[in-house]
Amino acid sequence: MRVLVTGMGGELGTRVVNLFEHDDSVTEICGIDAYPPRRRIHRVSFHRIDPVDRRRTVAVVREFDPEVIVHLGVYEPNARLAGAAAQRGTAASAVSVLGAASSCPSLRSIVVRSGIEVYGRGRGSVSRPDETVAVRPTSPFGNSLALVERVAREAAQAADVPVSFIRCAPIVGPSFPSPVGRYLRLPVVAVNPLAELPFSLLHQEDAAHAFVAAAAAAHDGPLNVCGTGAVTASQAVRIGRRVPLPVMGPGWWWASKAAELLGAPLPPHAQQMLVRGGVADSDRGRAVLGVEPRATRDVIEQLYRWEPVAMVSAAERRAS
Amino acid sequence: MSAFPSVPFEAPSVARATASAVRRRLSGDYDVDEWGLDPDLISTFDPLFALRWSIRVVGTENLPTIGGALLVFNRRLGISEPWVVARGVRQATGRFVRTVGAPDHAPVGPVLRRFGGVLDRPDEVSGLLGAGQLVGMPMGRDVINREHAGALHVARVRAAIDRGCPVVPVAAVGRELGREWKLVIGAPVAPRRKAGPLAAAELVEATRAAVQLQLDDGQSASWWW
Repeated sequence: MRVLVTGMGGELGTRVVNLFEHDDSVTEICGIDAYPPRRRIHRVSFHRIDPVDRRRTVAVVREFDPEVIVHLGVYEPNARLAGAAAQRGTAASAVSVLGAASSCPSLRSIVVRSGIEVYGRGRGSVSRPDETVAVRPTSPFGNSLALVERVAREAAQAADVPVSFIRCAPIVGPSFPSPVGRYLRLPVVAVNPLAELPFSLLHQEDAAHAFVAAAAAAHDGPLNVCGTGAVTASQAVRIGRRVPLPVMGPGWWWASKAAELLGAPLPPHAQQMLVRGGVADSDRGRAVLGVEPRATRDVIEQLYRWEPVAMVSAAERRAS
Repeated sequence: MSAFPSVPFEAPSVARATASAVRRRLSGDYDVDEWGLDPDLISTFDPLFALRWSIRVVGTENLPTIGGALLVFNRRLGISEPWVVARGVRQATGRFVRTVGAPDHAPVGPVLRRFGGVLDRPDEVSGLLGAGQLVGMPMGRDVINREHAGALHVARVRAAIDRGCPVVPVAAVGRELGREWKLVIGAPVAPRRKAGPLAAAELVEATRAAVQLQLDDGQSASWWW
C-alpha cells in the first residue's frame, strides 16, 4: 500500500508516519509539509513544500500516485500559525492535495483530519453530537474544517472512493502544539465557573493511532474520536494546581489579551470550548477504528505532569 | 491525671462530609459527565434536598435497572416536580435522571446541568437514551387542576420509539409549597404497533392515560386546593 501523508512535519504527522513505517503492509510512504519532520524517519520520501505552492504539491501527489491519502495538513489557529495564516494554509493544502488526489488512478481511500469544532457551539446546540448531527460551525477553525470536509467529499466523489472524516476532540499532549494546552498551563487561568460546560480532549498518541486505523478501515463518512469522559475548565485548572481567575462577559477580551501577552493566545474555538463546552458521541468511532482513547482526565493530568525528555544515545538505540 | 477519660473528638458527619467535599472541589478530584452532571455536587446538596422534599416512592420495580428509559411525568407549576422525580428515582434506585428543559443561558443553564438538567431537543434526548440514561420528560403545565395530567406531544416520545427504549409513566403527587410528595411509578407503556405514525400517537395517548390514572389513584381527597 502506498500512503501519502500531508502535514507530516507536525507532531501528529510525524508520529502517524512512524506508525506506518512499522506496518509491513505499507510499502511506500510519501510525506508533504512546509516544516521538516519532528522525529527521525526511516523509509519516507519527504517533500518540504509550502501549502500555498499548488503547482509543486500537485506534481508530487500525481507522481507518487497514492493508494491512501491521510490528509493531516490542517492548521489549528495559534498552534503553530497565527489565525489568518492557519486558515489560509488549511484551505490551500486541502484544495491542492485533495484536488490532485482525485485524478490519481490508484487511489482507494482518503482519510481527513477534522474536528468536533465543525458541530459548532451555538446557543441551543446539542450537547453531545453524534455523526448524524448537521455541521454548523461557529468559529473560524470550525469553518476551516468544514471547508476541508467539503473539498474532500468532492474529491472522493470525483475519484469514486470512500472518505473518512476523523472528527477529533482538541488534540493535546505534553509535546503537542495546542492553544488549549498552552493556555491551561499558564500559572493563572481565566475561567467562568458560572457558565462553563464540560469538554473532552484527545491525546496525541490516540489521535495518531486513530488515523492509522482509519487508513486501514476505509470507512466512508464522519467518525468522532474523543477521549472518554469530560472535564470543565475550572476542574482542569484545579487538577493542574493553577490559580483560577473568574472572568465573565467582556472580561474574556482582557483575559485573552493577557494570555496572548504571556505567549498563550486563545483562538475563538478554544474560548468557545472552555465556556460552551465541547464533547461528542464517539461510540461509532471506537467501534469502527478499534481505538480506545484514554480518558480526558488522564490527558489533563499528563498535560500538567511535564514528563522529562528521555535522551537515548545511538548505542542504546542500537542495543534496543 | 485528669479525672475525665480521654474521648477522641469526632466531628459531626455532616461537617466531615462538607470538609471532604470542599477538599475535592479545590483539588478538582470529582467527575463531571459529558452532559454536565456532577454527582459529587448532588451528593453535597443531598441533605438540603432532604430538608425541602420528603418523597415516598411507589412502584420502583417498574424502573429498569440498566439501560435508557423515558420517564414521562406530570407537573403543575413545574418547579418542584423535576427535582422530586430526580431525587425520588435516585433515592429508590441510585440512578440519576436527566430532566429535559434546562435553558441554554448562563448561569442558570450550566448550574441546572450540574444537577441533571438537559436541553429540550429530540437529538439530545436520543443521545441520552442511546447512552443508557434515564430521561425525565415533563408533560405540559396544568396550573389550575392539580389532579390533571397535562398535554404530551408526539414529538417528545419519538426518540424513545426510535431507540426502542421503554416509556415509563410517573405521577408526582404533592403541593408546590408542601414538603410531602409521593412518586407513583407505573409499568412501562408498550407501543401497540411496531412502527408508523400511529405508533407514536397511540403511545402518547396510552402514556398520558397511565399518568392520569396514577394521579387519580395517588392523590388523597383535598378540600382546599
